[in-house]
Amino acid sequence: MRALNWLDQRTGYRGLVDSLLREHVPGGARWRYVWGSTLTFAIVAQFVTGILLWIGYSASAQTAWESVYFLQEQVPLGWMVRGLHHWTAQLMVPLLVLHLMQVLIDGAYKAPREVNFWFGLALMGLTLALSLTGYLLPWDQKGMWATKVATNLMANVPVIGEGLQRLVVGGTDYGHHTLTRFFALHAGVLPAALVALIVGHIYLFRRHGITVKQPKKSADTTFWPDQVLKDAVACFAVAAAVLGLTIWKHGAQLTAPANPAENYSAARPDWYFMGLFQLLKFQDWFEQRLPGGGMLWCVVIIPGAIAGILFLMPLWSGWKVGHGFNLAFAWVGLGLFGAFTVMAYRHDFSDPHYLAAVKAGEHDAARVKALAARSGIPAEGALALLAGDPLTQGPKLFAAKCASCHGYDGHNGLGQPLTDPQSAADLKGWGSRQWIRDFLNPALIETPRWWGGTAFVHPPKGKERSPMVDYILDDAPAFSEPVKKQLDAALVALSAEAALPAQREADARDAALIAEGRKALISPEVNCTDCHLFHDEGGGKGPDLTGWASREWTIELIKNPAHKRFYGKRNDRMPAYAEREQLTTKQIEMITDWLRGDVQ
Amino acid sequence: MSDTDLSKPSTEAPLERREFLKAAACTVLGGCCMAAPIVAGVAVIAAPLRQKGAAVEVNLTPLDALAVGAAPRLFQIVTDRRDAWTQFPKQAVGSVFLLRTSETEVVAFHSSCPHLGCAVEFRDEIKSFYCPCHDSAFATSGEVQGKSPSLRGLDTLKVEVREGAVWVKFENFKAGIREKVATA
Repeated sequence: MRALNWLDQRTGYRGLVDSLLREHVPGGARWRYVWGSTLTFAIVAQFVTGILLWIGYSASAQTAWESVYFLQEQVPLGWMVRGLHHWTAQLMVPLLVLHLMQVLIDGAYKAPREVNFWFGLALMGLTLALSLTGYLLPWDQKGMWATKVATNLMANVPVIGEGLQRLVVGGTDYGHHTLTRFFALHAGVLPAALVALIVGHIYLFRRHGITVKQPKKSADTTFWPDQVLKDAVACFAVAAAVLGLTIWKHGAQLTAPANPAENYSAARPDWYFMGLFQLLKFQDWFEQRLPGGGMLWCVVIIPGAIAGILFLMPLWSGWKVGHGFNLAFAWVGLGLFGAFTVMAYRHDFSDPHYLAAVKAGEHDAARVKALAARSGIPAEGALALLAGDPLTQGPKLFAAKCASCHGYDGHNGLGQPLTDPQSAADLKGWGSRQWIRDFLNPALIETPRWWGGTAFVHPPKGKERSPMVDYILDDAPAFSEPVKKQLDAALVALSAEAALPAQREADARDAALIAEGRKALISPEVNCTDCHLFHDEGGGKGPDLTGWASREWTIELIKNPAHKRFYGKRNDRMPAYAEREQLTTKQIEMITDWLRGDVQ
Repeated sequence: MSDTDLSKPSTEAPLERREFLKAAACTVLGGCCMAAPIVAGVAVIAAPLRQKGAAVEVNLTPLDALAVGAAPRLFQIVTDRRDAWTQFPKQAVGSVFLLRTSETEVVAFHSSCPHLGCAVEFRDEIKSFYCPCHDSAFATSGEVQGKSPSLRGLDTLKVEVREGAVWVKFENFKAGIREKVATA
């Protein structure tokens, strides 16, 4: 106590605390006054978690994602720090709206409180700017692509836009300096401005006092402890919601590292910008009907008009109709914002391409994290992990290069529907027993999933259909039961040639059956070697079955299917991917390793 | 809290109890609000305390390259290194002096000064190791020489000669203390 007296004599802190706590609250404490306090609490929490994130963050194109990944996945409770920061930011937007609406409804923006209302609007703008800049910092696909859109919008502001964009981005391209600049804004400039404005906001609020909601519900009181208790309960509810969301989502989403060469069509801004995002889809509507161009309307005029009206609201609020207009404007604006947001999400969730892009993005994110956890991240960044990864690049290359003819379990490798009708065999399970059994199935071979779309089944005029098709449709079904059994053993032996990692155990277990099948394969009854070479036996116009579907066999086939080892002159349209230099050997290896499941 | 004239209390005693309960509730709720950031923050800040330094065995040179009685030679320790998230293959992580004392024996000294971790150099003119930071000097045996601030001699590292190659077990030691203690 003596020490506190000593301190008080020298600082007068008790007077300050008293004046802060003894704020007069006419009409008693009310729940409707809590919103400003919850926002103050949220901002304090953001400063704490923000500085904690700062401890682990490294702002450069090769280390931003990596440092965030490390914090989230490797540092104990790092995910929680990131989650708290993220979810508090998410909740601040509805809290801002509640605060604004309470101020409007209670008339707390009317004279003489105009300046404080403007402080509040500026704080709202700063909060949104903090969200926008923070979104980029993890340098993941979502953040980078969304920020690209945001900064391109900025470039459409007349006269200053382009220069402004370049200043913010730190050049013509997104890279190190985009991150350092966004980081300086997010962790330095904007928070400093926020603190300055909050001090002014609270000072002005105290100067004018609470705008009491009439009629008074109870006797006058003071800020401490009645209103403080209500504020504390509200802050606790916010904190509990943030913690709940953080634990439920285990932190915050981190998509794959930013890759300007790989379009991320699932890129979306944070949910509270989705209304504006949706508005941009109506750009053409404005373009057709209004002068100045749709972009100008969507990016400058409409958002500018909304901000302008909000700004001017106090000036006509003394007039009863003016106040009514302000309330109507706010409610209609909220309604439209909600409607546009719902529209945007409904569109996305009914769009299979968007959903597939989300799934592909999640796959990449999970994969790069698994690779990073296994072997660390090379100095050139986490993107290099994905660039050389068959499980990531295989399906993408398949979709780009193979899926115009082949399918993969009916889709294009990435889970998206095939754009062209399938005209070559489906390669899901390539090399497996199931695959080769289905191929030899007379009921399937003529379907588009197998050879239904090929010249082997439907030869051009003047040519004959493939002897393989004859074998499947005519010869094999006529085999006696024992020979049919031999044929199946031969297929098991053929599949064993592939040496699939997934079949390693089965192949070892069925060694006897495979030995029998190898004999059957070259026997006069099953007679594969009438057309095919199998090790030293047989030969002819059919592909060499030695090492069929093995890694080496598959790679060589993709390189040049018209080689005499494979289809030779009978090759049906499949290009020689290596010779035409459409694919590098590394790329062909990645497709093969993915198809065969050679990597995990 | 003594400011009771604004609200109209019915009696003195229940009011004080109620005020106390309100104050207590405010404190508890306020504490709970910041609990998660504080707990997570402490865990994040304290994470380095649980980090462990590990020794690495490195093949530095053929034994033949070192002459008996010649001046100590400095070798870089090159090894795979993990810096937080980055995996660096073959990076220099430190250096050691090798000194061949006999046909079969090689001595290795850590090149960082046991005083405060500056890099020690070998000075031919005084035939001693010398630290340019605070003027510690060490004999070729590693012992402290003269009025050196260092509390202990140069840190020796475990050396093995296998099939004509010199292998050193490289690790780091705490600076500034009398005992040689590995940083782990």
